[in-house]
Amino acid sequence: MAWIDQLLREAEKIVDETEVYFVQGNSVSAELKQKKVNLATASEDYGLGIRTIHKGRIGSSSTNNPDQWRECLAAAVASGKLATPQEWKGLPEPANLPGALLTFDSSLKIEPNVVIDLIEKMLDGAGKHPADVAAGSASLSSAVVTLANSRGIRYSNKYTSVSLSLEAIQGHSTGYEFDHSCFLDKVDPASVGQKATFFATESNNGKEIATGEYDVLLSPLAYGELLGNVFIPALSGRNVHAGRSRLAQSLGKPVTGPHITMYDDPLLKMANGSVRWDAEGTPTRKVDFIKEGILENFAYDLKTAYRFGKTSTASAIRGGFGGLPSIGHHNFIVDGKRDEVADERVMYVHNIVGAHTANPMSGDFSVELSNAFWMMGGEFETPIRSAMLSGNVFDLHQTVSGLSKESRAIGSMILPSVRIDKQRIIGN
Amino acid sequence: MPEIQYYDLRHVTGQVTHIDIDNGVVESAGTSFFNKAVIRVLSTTGWGVLQIDNFTPCSGKKFESLLDTACRLARITEEPVVLGDVPRGVLSVPPMREDPRDVSIEEKSSLLSEIEQAAIHPLVVNRRANFIEKIENVLFNDSSENEYSYEMCRSGFNVMAVASRNGNVQMGYEREHSIHGFNLRHQERLGKKSAEIAVALLDAGAAKAGKMRAVLDPELAGVFAHEAVGHASEGDLVNEGNSVLKGKTGQKIGNDNVTIVDDPGIHEFGFDPVDAEGVAVCRTEIIRKGVFNAFLHNRETLSSLGNGVAGHARAMPGEPPLVRMSNTFIEAGDSTEQEIFEECKNGIFLKGSRGGQVDPGRGIFQFNAEYGYLVKNGECTTMVRDVSLSGEILSTLHKIILCGNDRTMSPGYCGKGGQSVPVSDGAPHLLLYDAVVGGSGVD
Repeated sequence: MAWIDQLLREAEKIVDETEVYFVQGNSVSAELKQKKVNLATASEDYGLGIRTIHKGRIGSSSTNNPDQWRECLAAAVASGKLATPQEWKGLPEPANLPGALLTFDSSLKIEPNVVIDLIEKMLDGAGKHPADVAAGSASLSSAVVTLANSRGIRYSNKYTSVSLSLEAIQGHSTGYEFDHSCFLDKVDPASVGQKATFFATESNNGKEIATGEYDVLLSPLAYGELLGNVFIPALSGRNVHAGRSRLAQSLGKPVTGPHITMYDDPLLKMANGSVRWDAEGTPTRKVDFIKEGILENFAYDLKTAYRFGKTSTASAIRGGFGGLPSIGHHNFIVDGKRDEVADERVMYVHNIVGAHTANPMSGDFSVELSNAFWMMGGEFETPIRSAMLSGNVFDLHQTVSGLSKESRAIGSMILPSVRIDKQRIIGN
Repeated sequence: MPEIQYYDLRHVTGQVTHIDIDNGVVESAGTSFFNKAVIRVLSTTGWGVLQIDNFTPCSGKKFESLLDTACRLARITEEPVVLGDVPRGVLSVPPMREDPRDVSIEEKSSLLSEIEQAAIHPLVVNRRANFIEKIENVLFNDSSENEYSYEMCRSGFNVMAVASRNGNVQMGYEREHSIHGFNLRHQERLGKKSAEIAVALLDAGAAKAGKMRAVLDPELAGVFAHEAVGHASEGDLVNEGNSVLKGKTGQKIGNDNVTIVDDPGIHEFGFDPVDAEGVAVCRTEIIRKGVFNAFLHNRETLSSLGNGVAGHARAMPGEPPLVRMSNTFIEAGDSTEQEIFEECKNGIFLKGSRGGQVDPGRGIFQFNAEYGYLVKNGECTTMVRDVSLSGEILSTLHKIILCGNDRTMSPGYCGKGGQSVPVSDGAPHLLLYDAVVGGSGVD
């Protein structure tokens, strides 16, 4: 792409440093209305994000018209004039990184017939239980990301993505399941369909429960909602230094039970978020956030690291096409000693409603349960009709009594089911 | 090749200007550009949709080839769609009191900074203020020779203060967003208010959970209308069998004092001059005096389900339209605020919104207030934090005992199917009995 070199040459004349992030992608998807495909979509996506740094002032702009790069560059330079200057020690220089692609399925064809095959398998799985299919979707996408900067970085990465979801209903009982992977053969469409109708069917005619304290087993999905909305943002260096993290003063201190470890492993094989360089071109590495209960690190991008005298942990990510870098993670993993967590009687919670309304500062939350059951010896027993779970996301990590043997990918998190003793449940 | 029954094109270009100030530091400020189109083709078997970034308007063979691509894509669909007959027309976009484009970004930044500085307080450890201004130029045309274009500008700001003391961290959050033009001037009071609330919450206790009488302020009551009723009345969800309101037309599902409306035509933050399928917008009374009256529809769900009004299709730039709310509200009643608190007597007053969520198929909703007060003998007393409300749609509407005479609307954004669109919600003060209130406080 000669225009990127031209852009960098033009920019060199007016600013100290420049970074170009360009994404070009395409996708095909289909949506189910009940059991029939109602809509098929194809997309062509472009996103160009430009960052300029001049005397510590960071400017940025984006567009989805790469032909318009001159206007976009001018807007980035203008934007930099407004930004407060900060300590800046330079964009990364090129590193000699392995070329093998981590998240690209070369056999995946972004074509409607592949989508239909996935939909049919999902519907076959859904047929295993009597609940009706309400809606669903399957989508395939592929993208090429190019990162270039004025220090000589010219990185390119390709990735693919397959995602599936199905919603089922029986009476007033609903079930939802999804799966996603970079590799076609790593998704299990039949299981998605089967689980969605299973939960809708089995949750029907749920029983009321009384208010009280119960031992709760949060599925990876339910746990991920609380973790992603509250706990993970508190590990962002920016939030820590801005006074927006409850964990800010806890480095070196215990913040969870001693059996819990949390880390980002950007180089994990077959994982959805794996990447060799972060969104600013810093070579990625494992970041240990919590080791056996002790808080060890926060996540940094270049901007926050330079400002506060830290080192980037290569945690810069970009949201969507043409988005600007911010602090995030690649494959966020919760690990620790694994147990049989459902041998003894426990309230299994498959999903929760309203986790985004939690207080991100204090961690206090109250959410409605979805597809909750009494579970014994690993088997689902009675469904629970409706109940509210109240507590604090930070405090509940002190009372985790077990992590399940199996883990599951939920977006860019890889999580076990988590057993927590004595949680407050408001019943009827 | 299946026959093309219908097509439409919605092309949106525009720009977004933002300013982000964090503890006195201008973190970022500037302008970005977008150009997105969506072409929908209805074939004999269903919809084929192309989403195109960086679209160049075209006609003749080039446009026909796009239609052909979409039509071939639709070969995998298997559900013939009939589109309902609909009224046409475009409302004019109200003039702005001050066009944000006439104000330099330096001045915007300085005004936003004043709001952020107004949140300075010894106990406030972080202040953050954001300004956003989005200009959309929308072009629509379809195979029935309907054509329209309009320009919309939405702008506004958020300010957040975080207070901290002895490891207790609380936040106050205020916002103003508008279609009526630039609104950053003389807003320091909102910065100050965000700080006052964050600091006051440091001394607030956790709410105790249970069933009780609850007074909802207009903002939270508006979220209640949106989450508990609005989503479940969206025709696409009802069609999928995914709503407890399916089959409820004509049935009494709430008290006589409950009338809930969605109206894209009023000049609030969710205003749409015309919907995303080129249909004229109008007021839809979802619930009229406690009786379920009408679903929200697009052309497809109007035809397949009936019992409602089209003109509720909305879309983010470049995305296919979905059935959505716009300006959703509970009509005012005749009670004064004082009467509502007197009737509540002992309970809880819930104020502001941290958002909510609904499972319309199950009929369960959950949302969180920003804070609340315990009500004792009709008076607001102790402040409480982290208080939520949840319940079942069909039983809760019967529990609205009183509606105030003081409806106001609040701006926000609503997410569905991966798309976020501007909306407003509103209501008067409401009194609910047996409200399921959540909180982590214990006796």
